Amino acid sequence: MTVARPERPSSLKRHLALLGAALLVAWAALTIGIDPAEILELPGGLGRLFYEMFLDPGPDWAYLDDAIGFTVEDGAFELTTSGGMIQSLEIAWVGTVIGAILSLPLGFFAAKNVSSGLVSNLIRQVLNAIRAFPEVVLAIAIFIPIAGLGPVAGALAIGLHSVGTLGKLTAEVVEGIDPGPVEAARATGARPLQVQRWGVLPQVLPEIIAFWLYRFEINIRAAAILGVVGAGGIGFQLQQTIAFHRYSLAGTAVIVVVVATILVDTLSGWLRRRIIEGAEARVRGEVVEQPEIADVAAA
Amino acid sequence: MSLPAGTATARPAKPRPSPVVPLGIVAFLVITWAALFEPFGIGLDIGALADSITRGAGIFGELLDPNWEFLPRTVDPMLETFKIAVVASVIGCAVALPVAFLASRVTAPNLAVFLADRSLLSVVRAIPDFLYALIFVAAVSIGPLAGVAALVMFNIGVVAKLLSETVDGVDTGPIEAARAGGANRMQTVRWSVLPQVLPNYVAYSLYTFELNIRASAVLGIVGAGGIGNLIFLQYRFFNWSNVSVIVVELFVFVFIIETISIWLRRRLV
Repeated sequence: MTVARPERPSSLKRHLALLGAALLVAWAALTIGIDPAEILELPGGLGRLFYEMFLDPGPDWAYLDDAIGFTVEDGAFELTTSGGMIQSLEIAWVGTVIGAILSLPLGFFAAKNVSSGLVSNLIRQVLNAIRAFPEVVLAIAIFIPIAGLGPVAGALAIGLHSVGTLGKLTAEVVEGIDPGPVEAARATGARPLQVQRWGVLPQVLPEIIAFWLYRFEINIRAAAILGVVGAGGIGFQLQQTIAFHRYSLAGTAVIVVVVATILVDTLSGWLRRRIIEGAEARVRGEVVEQPEIADVAAA
Repeated sequence: MSLPAGTATARPAKPRPSPVVPLGIVAFLVITWAALFEPFGIGLDIGALADSITRGAGIFGELLDPNWEFLPRTVDPMLETFKIAVVASVIGCAVALPVAFLASRVTAPNLAVFLADRSLLSVVRAIPDFLYALIFVAAVSIGPLAGVAALVMFNIGVVAKLLSETVDGVDTGPIEAARAGGANRMQTVRWSVLPQVLPNYVAYSLYTFELNIRASAVLGIVGAGGIGNLIFLQYRFFNWSNVSVIVVELFVFVFIIETISIWLRRRLV
């Protein structure tokens, strides 16, 4: 007896979707207005640029203090006020702190399980709206008019955008909690705020702090462009040196950006791992001397 | 566990508080203070800021009164932004696929390739999208090609990083099965690893497409094509009512794209 093979599920819909996507891509590629000859020039142009930046004449190390953003005059160390990598890092840090402080309560209000339906929907839409604006647009349209040109406007722009992204992530983490501790807190007669403080916050805080650190890494990159519109940071140096073909200076600035970013990424990544897995990892390391602590942690 | 009646149980001693948390809080406060205020920081002066909020009033007045007659002139640059994002997403995500497989211990052929790819990837990720745009504008010329090239590099960084982490976490059973069946390395990746990570790959790709729309709107500021150039020009000439037209348009546009993308991601994953 032969058993007929079951019929293949229809893949018409999937094929139609793929065809639609392919047509969209083809339309975009054909009408974008890129001259194919230009594409062929790209590797050569890039090669020449890199050659001048990093080989001959190569990075100009005298520009290093400008790129990092400090001056040493008569032995006195001072930070420059016109850009530099340190200023970029500061803008990113302050922006992340603003974003973290404001997004924590907003994230709770946006979470469906601890907030009411209407409030959470409303806050969610506000967060979505904030996220739609790139940092540099926020700087141009809101914060440069208020704070004037300078790093303060940049930090405020980064901060507002971060509220949008961090608020959404916070809400998602809060929605994923174990309801047990919340119930337990309620059963002991905790007031609503106490329920959040003792039932929810301890569950979500490690993950949220990890998101803050991750956002700091992203904000360093986002802060780079702010210098172009006059909102502070190393973007100013990058744009000026490249626009005026001072490629050996640009090479120095690029190296400063790459090294500083990788350093911060590494440190922040280590911290994030430590925060998410840290307590357990430490206990595991001490198992030999103090078995009872390991038992407590496992329970 | 039950105790004999009348036994008083002593509370276990509280564990000594770890010094890490207070030290971390102190470090956080010191860094934040240093970053905020003179002499080292960005020089935030809250009093002056509060005073100057009114200084923006004139500008906000213009911003809140968008000049809709400007709208037709924004359509073509906006479409260019969209096209740049589409083309860059497709190329970037395609290149990111092999890069991601070489950046995971599970699928990299040997340690040298793995380490080389990882280091290259961390440099690629350390360069912000706007710096790529500056570099490509200097290498070729002003225009959409520089924007596409910059976003391709940006996408490789994002997608390859996320995907290589997903590959790190795949179930190794199917890999073993494929090897036992005599599959070579390519076949193993194709039939054991790729099917496991494909939904994530699609999700990451759609996610970067959303990022690209926002990024390509910005890259025009340094001449990499799209709406960014126009917004920067209007800002330079203080045409605030034109700036606000673009801002509103960009908002609606990003919102629509994101809604579609989220709906697609939910259906696919």
